[in-house]
Amino acid sequence: MLIPHPLLGLRDAQEFTYLGDASLMARPDPDQPDAEAAFADYVFLRDNPAGVHRELWFHEQGDRSWLVVTRNTVTHEILGAELATDVARRGA
Amino acid sequence: MTRIQGGLIDRNRPLSFRFDGRSYSGFEGDTLASALLANGVRLVGRSFKYHRPRGIFSAGSEEPNALVELREGARREPNTRATVVELYDGLVADSQNRIGSLEHDLLSVNDLFAPFFAAGFYYKTFMWPRAFWEKLYEPAIRRAAGLGSLSMLADPDAYDRGFQHPDLLVIGGGAAGLMAALTTGRAGASVLLADEDCRLGGRLLAEGGVIDDTPAADWVAGVVAELENLPNVRILTRTTVFGAYDHGVYGAVERVSDHLPEPGRKVRQTLWRISARHAILATGATERHIPFGDNDRPGIMLAGAMRAYVNRWAVTPQARAEDPVAIFTNNDDGHRTALALAARGVPLAGVIDTRSGVSSLGEYRTFAGATVTGTKGRKGLSAIELRHGGTSEWLNCGALGVSGGWNPNVHLASHHRGRPLWSDEKLAFVPDDNGPQGLLVAGAARGEGSTAEALADGARVALTALEALGISGTAPAIPVASEEPSAIEAFWHVPAKGRAWVDFQNDVTVKDIKLAHQENMRPVEHLKRWTTLGMATDQGKTANVTALAVMAELTGKTIPETGTTIFRPPYTPVSMGVLGGGDTGQRFRPRRLTPTHPWAEAQGAVFVEVGPWMRAQYFPRAGETHWRQTVDREARAVRASVGVCDVTTLGKIDVQGPDAGEFLNRIYANLMGTLKPGKVRYGLMLREDGIAYDDGTCACLAEGHYVVTTTTANAGLVYQRMEFARQCLWPELDVTLISTTDAWAQIAVAGPKSRELLSRIVDGFDMSNDAFPFMGCAELTVCGGLRARLFRISFSGELAYEIAVPARYGNALMERLMDTGKDLDVTAYGTEALGVLRIEKGHATANEINGQTTATMLGMDRMVSRKKDSIGAIMSRREGLSGDARRLVGFVPVDAGEPVVAGSHLVAPGDPVDMAHDQGWITSACYSPHVGSSIGLGYLVNGDSRLGQEFIAANPLEGQSVRVKAVSAHFVDPEGERLRD
Amino acid sequence: MTDLTPITALGDSVPRVHTAGGYTLRENADLALASLAVARGVAAPAPFGLGLPDAGGLAVGEGGRSAFWTAPDQWMIAAEGMAETDFAASLLAEVPGGRVTEQTDGWTAFEIASEDAAQIESLLERLVNLPAAATAPGRATRTGLEHMSVFVLRRTDSHVTIIGMRTLAASLWHALETAVDRLGGTQ
Repeated sequence: MLIPHPLLGLRDAQEFTYLGDASLMARPDPDQPDAEAAFADYVFLRDNPAGVHRELWFHEQGDRSWLVVTRNTVTHEILGAELATDVARRGA
Repeated sequence: MTRIQGGLIDRNRPLSFRFDGRSYSGFEGDTLASALLANGVRLVGRSFKYHRPRGIFSAGSEEPNALVELREGARREPNTRATVVELYDGLVADSQNRIGSLEHDLLSVNDLFAPFFAAGFYYKTFMWPRAFWEKLYEPAIRRAAGLGSLSMLADPDAYDRGFQHPDLLVIGGGAAGLMAALTTGRAGASVLLADEDCRLGGRLLAEGGVIDDTPAADWVAGVVAELENLPNVRILTRTTVFGAYDHGVYGAVERVSDHLPEPGRKVRQTLWRISARHAILATGATERHIPFGDNDRPGIMLAGAMRAYVNRWAVTPQARAEDPVAIFTNNDDGHRTALALAARGVPLAGVIDTRSGVSSLGEYRTFAGATVTGTKGRKGLSAIELRHGGTSEWLNCGALGVSGGWNPNVHLASHHRGRPLWSDEKLAFVPDDNGPQGLLVAGAARGEGSTAEALADGARVALTALEALGISGTAPAIPVASEEPSAIEAFWHVPAKGRAWVDFQNDVTVKDIKLAHQENMRPVEHLKRWTTLGMATDQGKTANVTALAVMAELTGKTIPETGTTIFRPPYTPVSMGVLGGGDTGQRFRPRRLTPTHPWAEAQGAVFVEVGPWMRAQYFPRAGETHWRQTVDREARAVRASVGVCDVTTLGKIDVQGPDAGEFLNRIYANLMGTLKPGKVRYGLMLREDGIAYDDGTCACLAEGHYVVTTTTANAGLVYQRMEFARQCLWPELDVTLISTTDAWAQIAVAGPKSRELLSRIVDGFDMSNDAFPFMGCAELTVCGGLRARLFRISFSGELAYEIAVPARYGNALMERLMDTGKDLDVTAYGTEALGVLRIEKGHATANEINGQTTATMLGMDRMVSRKKDSIGAIMSRREGLSGDARRLVGFVPVDAGEPVVAGSHLVAPGDPVDMAHDQGWITSACYSPHVGSSIGLGYLVNGDSRLGQEFIAANPLEGQSVRVKAVSAHFVDPEGERLRD
Repeated sequence: MTDLTPITALGDSVPRVHTAGGYTLRENADLALASLAVARGVAAPAPFGLGLPDAGGLAVGEGGRSAFWTAPDQWMIAAEGMAETDFAASLLAEVPGGRVTEQTDGWTAFEIASEDAAQIESLLERLVNLPAAATAPGRATRTGLEHMSVFVLRRTDSHVTIIGMRTLAASLWHALETAVDRLGGTQ
């Protein structure tokens, strides 16, 4: 697999480690009254789509950036990748 | 001898070789198969199940039959296809899968029991009694049904790996591949051309035709010369592209020195990982055969292979030059073989053509509308039975070429599960456009099989690839090749009373397919597993499509309705050695050495692998005969005077920025942002699910500048999680993280005399308890101006420090400490004593923080601050975790002579030893020289209120059962006075 | 000056050198390193007059100093022959208030010189899975090499610096030595 790093271009997936669903970036608000339930969902529940999936990859043997990679889990086609911190700043 | 004139062999370079102990000779350019044929050797092996005599069936990598053990000793390689082994001087090969000699294989008795070995035989026969499987059936089957044997010696050769990033990968250097490489190479694309053969040309070398009025081999040489002169084109011969992976990544093995007696200074093979923007699959086609009764005798081979042997290797297929050769075909290509044989003076018995109304293309006899129905010849073909016009007759012949048409080599196009399409016109599976992204198929690999078609198609597909690459190219002049008749009529097998083999390597016959059909194993994937069709090392290259056709006939469906098998990498067998890479043993993986490693080695330390690290486990001294003596001495020295230990392996992360304190507050469960410069604090990290994750210290070097220490094992992971928090969770915090584990050599100096020892090396730094109290840190200089960091922290419970200096000075600092502290009885200690000291003090490590335990269990629930949010804080309060009643306590044996064993489970005395009565478990244990007995740490239900109670520590696996007493986890200085002193 | 005697990353008193068929592999124990980071969006400073490069870039300045990009808003600043000095302090003096981390002994630098570009390139294709553009002269890239994390600095056509973690120096040296021996033909 090759991952299109937004700053460094196509890099072999062996340079990266995988974390999982990009929804892990949406950490619940700990001050809400239902925080425990929200955290339980956040920690334990994931969608497992056959198709387009946004997921987190860490460029461990590279620039140490976390990327949000959009990948089709059926075809392995990679539709895009951006710096996770840019995504986080947008609040997406 | 059946060597004829011509061919692409070098008669000036004769080579000698041995097969089954007998000496033969061949020439440079021969394969082992061509050389054996040239010497009249037809019987080369025994079949997998029935031990039937077998000969050479093909002239390429698809060979199912001619498998040999190549070389001797540690380099012996079983199941090597004689058809792709390049002959070298002194080559040694042996036939395999036999007991006794090849001529008189004792296991050929299996052939008599053939009815018992039908499809599904293993599943049906060895069901009962169950106990017989491991001891009787399996060993017997493995001995009888098998291939070659391993040398059982370590592989002496080196292997290499490499990476290529061409614009275009051209797989196969035949007519289509050469034209593709030429077209794209001339256009300036970076091109990698790979071919499994030792020379480029593919089938052109076997056909002996004429291209642009020159012999094909000369035309090939001209193209190769041009390609070699293009700096943007790279040619890898002896290189098999074995797999297509995601995003244009291909795996290939280059056999660098398999054609040499020994690799010498070279590697044996190189594994290439090729990332190509586009690829052209020009892998040609493989001929298929037509099953008929007793079609597996030596001397029966693919007709196209015969053509290759006479044209390229100048050998004829029969044992004696005067023996006539026959051809059995359903297509014009079989007649082309007859013409090629006739042109080289080989006597022809005739062409048996299943099609009615066809006539000869040359001076030979054609039996139209005829089939071959039987054969004779125990260890080599002597006669064939043919049936035509309602009558049968026997025809003497020394070899029979069989042609059932050609199957495009679509394998790599299907490696991403894309299935090929059936073409009724070509009577073959051709690639659909559902192959790997960026892969185009050209030439015979997509059914454009004649020389003229392949040349034109290679150029055409190359232009498509150039367009996709955004490179402008020019259509080349298409070389002129002669017309090649290729008409074909479907004919899949000759009905036979006896056995008609479909898959030679796994001994699968038409009858087996019929049986699978009867037993309802009809879907292709079931057929395959029930009969083992196509599951041998050749993966059924010459068998699968024919088997499908037979099954289609039985079910009354069409071939495409019946299905295709799925192709998976590797295309041909790949040695484990090249996949594993060259480094073995100590070089198997990278090793991290601590800064004091040379010193520890000089002390005779015993090392232990801790993840990638090599750490000193203990330092034996003269006279110590057991490791426990050494470890007890080291641990006692720390309690009595002073010990030193390299703790560089602990992870160190530099945290800087105005928001560093707030960031650490969110990373650690406890408050960290309030830490003042010059201070160190113990910190606990949780996982987001509330489970305890890692612990260590955090030092504040200056306002907005901290150093986080992690455990050795989690150093990389904690850094990764902190980067996740920084980049993904809280990008608004202005903080920078840098891993600096390797930059500093860190040495623990522990024991009541540690202050005195360190005062001897610091440069005017006030070491007094008031000036530098417990949990203090400072940047200072030591040993006359060397910058250092000093932390007053303790893992052992004694007065202790950790001192860090730039890593290059770590070794010298250790020597200095040992030298300076001689009068203080300074003692080096290793990880074993480190473990004893921390168990005595009741400090948790990975045994206690093991991914299943909580802050509450560790007795640290109050550390999880409610004044702020942090990772895991919310979830740690859920009932399941906060309500856990197990607590970390200490254990001593009731009888001081008994051991406490880590992993033992705790039950109340008198209770049965089962999970229903489980009260907890022992996490860590050691012999404590301080206590004078074995001690342990462990989790115990309501442990903090049960100190003094007795339990049984049970280890049912070992039949151990020890009475233990729960005690405080702090065996040493429970009030913590020593470390504050 | 301290009276302690340092050792090289390979554990010797003098840096190791190995030659094979046109390749020279040399341990560079004198290279000082310090990382420099700035807050997001802050203009990159110019310590020692170095123009800090963009992703994948290597900038070479005066007095044996160079800088290469390591991560967004992060660079490594290198100085030849300065390993025995407190280079982090010198760098901090250039960028007061900057986030500087001493890195000299976090790494080990192995210099590989060859007769020509082709030799370096055939070596690199055995070592790292990077396209030619990422290892062209003037480029610096972090990647994996035999499961180790390294920076590949292509200084010139015929000179590349491989910077790896100091504690892995022996394994990295073995990997590089094996590769140059295979290509240089002395093995």
